[in-house]
Amino acid sequence: MIVVFWVSFIVALVGSALLITQKHAVYALLGLLIAFGASAGVFLSLDAPFIAVSQILIYAGALAVMFLFVLMFTDTRTDEDTGLPGAVGSRAVFDPATGRPAKKKKKKKADEEAKPSPFSGLVMPKPMAVAVSLALLVCFTAAIVTLPSGFNRFGPLPSAYDGINFEGVERSADQIKSDPNLLPFGSTEAVSRTIFEGFPLAFEVVSLLIFAAVLGAVLLARRHLVGIPGTQDVAKESGHA
Amino acid sequence: MPEPKVVLFLAAFLFCCGVYGVLSRRHLIMILMSLELMLNAINIMLVTFSRHWAGKNHDMLGAHAGQFFTLMVMAVAAAEVGIGLAIIVALYRRKHTADADAATDLKN
Repeated sequence: MIVVFWVSFIVALVGSALLITQKHAVYALLGLLIAFGASAGVFLSLDAPFIAVSQILIYAGALAVMFLFVLMFTDTRTDEDTGLPGAVGSRAVFDPATGRPAKKKKKKKADEEAKPSPFSGLVMPKPMAVAVSLALLVCFTAAIVTLPSGFNRFGPLPSAYDGINFEGVERSADQIKSDPNLLPFGSTEAVSRTIFEGFPLAFEVVSLLIFAAVLGAVLLARRHLVGIPGTQDVAKESGHA
Repeated sequence: MPEPKVVLFLAAFLFCCGVYGVLSRRHLIMILMSLELMLNAINIMLVTFSRHWAGKNHDMLGAHAGQFFTLMVMAVAAAEVGIGLAIIVALYRRKHTADADAATDLKN
Protein backbone atom coordinates (compact mmCIF):
# COMPACT_ATOMS: atom_id res chain seq x y z
CA MET A 1 0.00 0.00 0.00
CA ILE A 2 2.82 2.37 0.75
CA VAL A 3 4.18 1.76 -2.76
CA VAL A 4 0.77 2.51 -4.26
CA PHE A 5 0.66 5.71 -2.26
CA TRP A 6 4.08 7.00 -3.24
CA VAL A 7 3.57 6.19 -6.92
CA SER A 8 0.19 7.99 -6.78
CA PHE A 9 1.82 10.88 -4.94
CA ILE A 10 4.42 11.45 -7.64
CA VAL A 11 1.96 10.92 -10.47
CA ALA A 12 -0.54 13.34 -8.92
CA LEU A 13 2.13 16.01 -8.62
CA VAL A 14 3.11 15.47 -12.26
CA GLY A 15 -0.52 15.54 -13.40
CA SER A 16 -1.38 18.76 -11.61
CA ALA A 17 1.83 20.36 -12.87
CA LEU A 18 0.80 19.36 -16.40
CA LEU A 19 -2.62 20.89 -15.85
CA ILE A 20 -1.34 24.28 -14.84
CA THR A 21 1.59 24.52 -17.25
CA GLN A 22 0.25 23.18 -20.52
CA LYS A 23 -0.96 25.80 -22.95
CA HIS A 24 -3.03 23.44 -25.03
CA ALA A 25 -6.32 22.66 -23.29
CA VAL A 26 -6.39 19.01 -24.35
CA TYR A 27 -2.93 18.39 -22.86
CA ALA A 28 -4.06 20.16 -19.70
CA LEU A 29 -7.11 17.89 -19.61
CA LEU A 30 -4.75 14.93 -19.91
CA GLY A 31 -2.89 16.24 -16.88
CA LEU A 32 -6.18 16.54 -15.00
CA LEU A 33 -7.02 12.94 -15.92
CA ILE A 34 -3.62 11.80 -14.65
CA ALA A 35 -4.18 13.68 -11.39
CA PHE A 36 -7.63 12.11 -11.00
CA GLY A 37 -6.30 8.61 -11.60
CA ALA A 38 -3.51 9.18 -9.12
CA SER A 39 -6.06 10.43 -6.59
CA ALA A 40 -7.89 7.14 -7.02
CA GLY A 41 -4.62 5.43 -6.11
CA VAL A 42 -4.35 7.62 -3.02
CA PHE A 43 -7.90 6.63 -2.03
CA LEU A 44 -6.99 2.96 -2.49
CA SER A 45 -3.96 3.35 -0.23
CA LEU A 46 -6.21 5.04 2.35
CA ASP A 47 -8.48 1.96 2.56
CA ALA A 48 -11.29 3.59 0.58
CA PRO A 49 -11.80 1.27 -2.41
CA PHE A 50 -15.40 2.37 -3.02
CA ILE A 51 -14.37 6.02 -3.23
CA ALA A 52 -11.48 5.07 -5.50
CA VAL A 53 -13.79 3.31 -7.95
CA SER A 54 -16.31 6.18 -7.79
CA GLN A 55 -13.48 8.58 -8.48
CA ILE A 56 -12.51 6.73 -11.65
CA LEU A 57 -16.12 6.32 -12.76
CA ILE A 58 -17.30 9.88 -12.10
CA TYR A 59 -14.25 12.06 -12.49
CA ALA A 60 -12.05 10.21 -14.95
CA GLY A 61 -14.97 8.64 -16.79
CA ALA A 62 -17.79 11.15 -16.90
CA LEU A 63 -16.32 14.58 -16.19
CA ALA A 64 -13.26 14.20 -18.39
CA VAL A 65 -15.37 13.06 -21.33
CA MET A 66 -17.70 16.03 -20.81
CA PHE A 67 -14.72 18.38 -20.79
CA LEU A 68 -13.37 16.76 -23.92
CA PHE A 69 -16.69 17.16 -25.73
CA VAL A 70 -16.97 20.83 -24.84
CA LEU A 71 -13.36 21.35 -25.85
CA MET A 72 -14.30 19.96 -29.24
CA PHE A 73 -17.39 22.18 -29.45
CA THR A 74 -15.57 25.36 -28.60
CA ASP A 75 -12.42 27.09 -29.71
CA THR A 76 -9.50 26.10 -27.57
CA ARG A 77 -7.13 28.58 -29.16
CA THR A 78 -8.32 31.56 -27.17
CA ASP A 79 -6.03 30.74 -24.28
CA GLU A 80 -3.21 33.01 -23.37
CA ASP A 81 0.10 33.19 -25.18
CA THR A 82 -1.22 31.70 -28.39
CA GLY A 83 -0.97 35.00 -30.23
CA LEU A 84 -4.65 34.71 -31.12
CA PRO A 85 -7.50 36.80 -29.70
CA GLY A 86 -7.43 36.70 -25.96
CA ALA A 87 -3.67 36.77 -25.64
CA VAL A 88 -2.24 38.44 -22.57
CA GLY A 89 -1.63 42.14 -23.02
CA SER A 90 -3.92 42.45 -26.00
CA ARG A 91 -7.25 43.07 -24.32
CA ALA A 92 -8.31 45.43 -27.10
CA VAL A 93 -8.75 42.55 -29.52
CA PHE A 94 -12.37 42.26 -28.41
CA ASP A 95 -14.51 44.54 -30.52
CA PRO A 96 -16.40 46.62 -27.94
CA ALA A 97 -19.45 46.94 -30.20
CA THR A 98 -20.09 43.24 -30.67
CA GLY A 99 -18.06 41.75 -27.87
CA ARG A 100 -16.60 39.34 -30.34
CA PRO A 101 -12.92 38.99 -31.05
CA ALA A 102 -11.66 41.31 -33.72
CA LYS A 103 -10.11 39.95 -36.88
CA LYS A 104 -7.16 37.77 -36.27
CA LYS A 105 -3.85 39.41 -36.81
CA LYS A 106 -1.63 37.82 -39.37
CA LYS A 107 1.20 36.00 -37.73
CA LYS A 108 4.58 37.45 -38.31
CA LYS A 109 6.79 35.46 -40.58
CA ALA A 110 9.54 35.42 -38.01
CA ASP A 111 7.20 33.64 -35.62
CA GLU A 112 6.49 30.90 -38.10
CA GLU A 113 10.10 30.34 -38.98
CA ALA A 114 11.29 30.48 -35.39
CA LYS A 115 12.50 27.20 -34.03
CA PRO A 116 9.97 25.78 -31.55
CA SER A 117 11.55 25.85 -28.13
CA PRO A 118 10.86 23.01 -25.69
CA PHE A 119 8.93 25.47 -23.56
CA SER A 120 6.68 26.68 -26.35
CA GLY A 121 3.83 24.47 -25.18
CA LEU A 122 3.93 25.88 -21.66
CA VAL A 123 2.17 28.87 -20.21
CA MET A 124 4.31 31.67 -18.87
CA PRO A 125 3.90 31.81 -15.08
CA LYS A 126 1.90 34.75 -13.81
CA PRO A 127 3.80 36.34 -10.90
CA MET A 128 0.79 37.35 -8.85
CA ALA A 129 -0.92 33.98 -9.24
CA VAL A 130 2.33 32.22 -8.29
CA ALA A 131 2.67 34.44 -5.24
CA VAL A 132 -0.89 33.86 -4.06
CA SER A 133 -0.85 30.10 -4.54
CA LEU A 134 2.62 29.75 -3.00
CA ALA A 135 1.49 31.78 0.01
CA LEU A 136 -1.53 29.50 0.34
CA LEU A 137 0.70 26.44 0.10
CA VAL A 138 3.00 27.82 2.81
CA CYS A 139 0.00 28.48 5.07
CA PHE A 140 -1.40 24.99 4.50
CA THR A 141 1.99 23.38 5.06
CA ALA A 142 2.47 25.31 8.30
CA ALA A 143 -0.98 24.19 9.45
CA ILE A 144 -0.21 20.57 8.55
CA VAL A 145 3.20 20.59 10.25
CA THR A 146 1.71 21.94 13.47
CA LEU A 147 -1.00 19.27 13.64
CA PRO A 148 -0.99 17.34 16.94
CA SER A 149 1.07 14.20 17.17
CA GLY A 150 -2.06 12.09 16.81
CA PHE A 151 -1.75 12.77 13.09
CA ASN A 152 1.67 11.21 12.80
CA ARG A 153 0.25 7.87 11.72
CA PHE A 154 -3.09 6.21 11.12
CA GLY A 155 -4.54 4.05 13.85
CA PRO A 156 -5.48 0.40 13.34
CA LEU A 157 -8.79 -0.44 11.73
CA PRO A 158 -11.49 -2.48 13.48
CA SER A 159 -11.32 -6.08 12.49
CA ALA A 160 -14.17 -8.55 12.65
CA TYR A 161 -11.78 -11.45 12.87
CA ASP A 162 -10.23 -10.89 16.27
CA GLY A 163 -13.66 -10.93 17.89
CA ILE A 164 -12.74 -8.05 20.17
CA ASN A 165 -14.23 -4.64 19.78
CA PHE A 166 -12.49 -1.37 20.45
CA GLU A 167 -13.09 -1.46 24.18
CA GLY A 168 -11.58 -4.90 24.42
CA VAL A 169 -14.84 -6.69 25.20
CA GLU A 170 -15.18 -10.17 23.80
CA ARG A 171 -18.16 -10.81 21.57
CA SER A 172 -19.97 -13.80 20.24
CA ALA A 173 -19.91 -14.69 16.57
CA ASP A 174 -23.50 -13.54 16.08
CA GLN A 175 -22.80 -10.19 17.66
CA ILE A 176 -19.80 -9.70 15.41
CA LYS A 177 -21.85 -10.61 12.37
CA SER A 178 -24.56 -8.06 13.17
CA ASP A 179 -22.28 -5.27 14.35
CA PRO A 180 -22.02 -2.62 11.63
CA ASN A 181 -19.05 -1.09 13.41
CA LEU A 182 -17.01 -4.12 12.49
CA LEU A 183 -17.72 -3.94 8.77
CA PRO A 184 -14.56 -3.67 6.70
CA PHE A 185 -13.58 0.00 6.50
CA GLY A 186 -14.39 1.62 3.17
CA SER A 187 -16.24 -1.41 1.84
CA THR A 188 -19.30 -0.88 -0.31
CA GLU A 189 -21.58 -2.23 2.40
CA ALA A 190 -20.18 0.09 5.06
CA VAL A 191 -20.38 3.16 2.80
CA SER A 192 -23.92 2.37 1.65
CA ARG A 193 -25.10 1.73 5.19
CA THR A 194 -23.57 5.07 6.14
CA ILE A 195 -25.48 6.77 3.35
CA PHE A 196 -28.86 5.17 3.98
CA GLU A 197 -28.73 4.90 7.76
CA GLY A 198 -26.81 8.05 8.56
CA PHE A 199 -27.52 10.64 5.89
CA PRO A 200 -30.61 9.65 3.86
CA LEU A 201 -31.89 13.23 3.64
CA ALA A 202 -28.64 14.54 2.15
CA PHE A 203 -28.74 11.72 -0.36
CA GLU A 204 -32.24 12.73 -1.48
CA VAL A 205 -31.31 16.41 -1.63
CA VAL A 206 -28.37 15.59 -3.87
CA SER A 207 -30.70 13.76 -6.25
CA LEU A 208 -32.80 16.94 -6.42
CA LEU A 209 -29.65 18.97 -7.05
CA ILE A 210 -28.61 16.77 -9.94
CA PHE A 211 -32.12 16.91 -11.38
CA ALA A 212 -32.06 20.70 -11.27
CA ALA A 213 -28.56 20.75 -12.76
CA VAL A 214 -29.61 18.53 -15.66
CA LEU A 215 -32.62 20.74 -16.38
CA GLY A 216 -30.49 23.88 -16.16
CA ALA A 217 -27.77 22.48 -18.39
CA VAL A 218 -30.28 21.47 -21.06
CA LEU A 219 -31.96 24.87 -20.89
CA LEU A 220 -28.69 26.79 -21.05
CA ALA A 221 -27.15 24.85 -23.89
CA ARG A 222 -30.25 24.79 -26.07
CA ARG A 223 -29.99 26.59 -29.35
CA HIS A 224 -33.55 27.89 -29.54
CA LEU A 225 -35.28 29.16 -26.45
CA VAL A 226 -38.71 28.96 -28.03
CA GLY A 227 -41.56 30.44 -26.08
CA ILE A 228 -39.48 31.61 -23.16
CA PRO A 229 -39.84 35.37 -22.80
CA GLY A 230 -36.73 37.41 -22.21
CA THR A 231 -34.41 35.04 -24.02
CA GLN A 232 -33.08 35.73 -27.44
CA ASP A 233 -33.06 33.38 -30.35
CA VAL A 234 -29.35 32.99 -30.75
CA ALA A 235 -29.57 31.11 -34.01
CA LYS A 236 -31.63 33.85 -35.64
CA GLU A 237 -29.30 36.50 -34.34
CA SER A 238 -26.21 34.92 -35.82
CA GLY A 239 -27.94 34.41 -39.14
CA HIS A 240 -28.22 30.64 -39.20
CA ALA A 241 -31.99 30.42 -38.97
CA MET B 1 0.17 3.06 5.39
CA PRO B 2 1.22 6.55 4.36
CA GLU B 3 1.57 9.20 7.00
CA PRO B 4 -1.50 11.44 7.36
CA LYS B 5 0.55 14.60 7.13
CA VAL B 6 2.08 13.55 3.81
CA VAL B 7 -1.36 12.87 2.36
CA LEU B 8 -2.61 16.20 3.66
CA PHE B 9 0.38 17.91 2.05
CA LEU B 10 -0.48 16.25 -1.25
CA ALA B 11 -4.03 17.56 -0.94
CA ALA B 12 -2.73 21.05 -0.11
CA PHE B 13 -0.40 20.98 -3.11
CA LEU B 14 -3.18 19.90 -5.48
CA PHE B 15 -5.43 22.60 -4.04
CA CYS B 16 -2.79 25.27 -4.59
CA CYS B 17 -2.24 24.04 -8.15
CA GLY B 18 -5.98 24.52 -8.65
CA VAL B 19 -5.84 28.00 -7.16
CA TYR B 20 -2.98 28.88 -9.46
CA GLY B 21 -4.88 27.57 -12.47
CA VAL B 22 -8.01 29.53 -11.59
CA LEU B 23 -6.01 32.71 -11.07
CA SER B 24 -3.74 32.48 -14.08
CA ARG B 25 -5.94 31.09 -16.85
CA ARG B 26 -8.47 32.99 -18.92
CA HIS B 27 -9.93 30.11 -20.85
CA LEU B 28 -13.18 29.24 -19.06
CA ILE B 29 -12.72 25.49 -19.52
CA MET B 30 -9.27 25.71 -17.99
CA ILE B 31 -10.74 27.57 -15.02
CA LEU B 32 -13.37 24.86 -14.58
CA MET B 33 -10.72 22.14 -14.80
CA SER B 34 -8.65 23.87 -12.12
CA LEU B 35 -11.77 24.09 -9.96
CA GLU B 36 -12.20 20.34 -10.37
CA LEU B 37 -8.62 19.82 -9.21
CA MET B 38 -9.38 21.87 -6.09
CA LEU B 39 -12.48 19.79 -5.35
CA ASN B 40 -10.40 16.67 -5.86
CA ALA B 41 -7.87 17.92 -3.32
CA ILE B 42 -10.70 18.43 -0.84
CA ASN B 43 -11.82 14.85 -1.51
CA ILE B 44 -8.35 13.56 -0.67
CA MET B 45 -8.38 15.57 2.54
CA LEU B 46 -11.83 14.26 3.51
CA VAL B 47 -10.83 10.65 2.92
CA THR B 48 -7.65 11.17 4.93
CA PHE B 49 -9.57 12.48 7.92
CA SER B 50 -12.11 9.69 7.50
CA ARG B 51 -9.32 7.11 7.72
CA HIS B 52 -7.79 8.96 10.64
CA TRP B 53 -11.09 8.90 12.52
CA ALA B 54 -11.54 5.21 11.76
CA GLY B 55 -8.23 4.50 13.45
CA LYS B 56 -9.36 6.25 16.63
CA ASN B 57 -13.06 5.42 16.95
CA HIS B 58 -14.58 2.22 15.73
CA ASP B 59 -18.03 3.44 14.76
CA MET B 60 -19.24 2.91 11.25
CA LEU B 61 -21.19 6.15 10.76
CA GLY B 62 -18.50 8.46 12.08
CA ALA B 63 -15.69 6.73 10.27
CA HIS B 64 -17.47 6.78 6.92
CA ALA B 65 -18.92 10.27 7.18
CA GLY B 66 -15.85 11.64 5.39
CA GLN B 67 -16.29 9.18 2.55
CA PHE B 68 -19.96 10.08 2.35
CA PHE B 69 -19.05 13.75 2.06
CA THR B 70 -16.59 12.81 -0.66
CA LEU B 71 -19.44 11.26 -2.61
CA MET B 72 -21.49 14.41 -2.05
CA VAL B 73 -18.62 16.55 -3.33
CA MET B 74 -18.39 14.34 -6.41
CA ALA B 75 -22.12 14.77 -7.07
CA VAL B 76 -21.91 18.53 -6.61
CA ALA B 77 -18.84 18.67 -8.84
CA ALA B 78 -20.65 16.74 -11.56
CA ALA B 79 -23.64 19.10 -11.35
CA GLU B 80 -21.34 22.11 -11.36
CA VAL B 81 -19.44 20.93 -14.41
CA GLY B 82 -22.67 20.22 -16.24
CA ILE B 83 -23.98 23.73 -15.60
CA GLY B 84 -20.58 25.35 -16.17
CA LEU B 85 -20.01 23.63 -19.48
CA ALA B 86 -23.54 24.52 -20.61
CA ILE B 87 -22.81 28.16 -19.78
CA ILE B 88 -19.54 27.95 -21.70
CA VAL B 89 -21.34 26.49 -24.73
CA ALA B 90 -23.97 29.25 -24.54
CA LEU B 91 -21.26 31.91 -24.23
CA TYR B 92 -19.34 30.42 -27.12
CA ARG B 93 -22.47 30.46 -29.25
CA ARG B 94 -22.92 34.19 -28.64
CA LYS B 95 -19.34 35.43 -28.48
CA HIS B 96 -17.47 32.78 -30.47
CA THR B 97 -14.88 32.57 -27.75
CA ALA B 98 -14.49 30.76 -24.44
CA ASP B 99 -12.38 33.52 -22.95
CA ALA B 100 -13.45 34.78 -19.55
CA ASP B 101 -12.77 38.38 -20.57
CA ALA B 102 -15.31 38.19 -23.38
CA ALA B 103 -18.22 37.93 -20.99
CA THR B 104 -18.59 41.63 -20.24
CA ASP B 105 -22.25 42.14 -21.06
CA LEU B 106 -23.10 43.02 -17.46
CA LYS B 107 -20.26 45.55 -17.28
CA ASN B 108 -21.20 49.27 -17.11
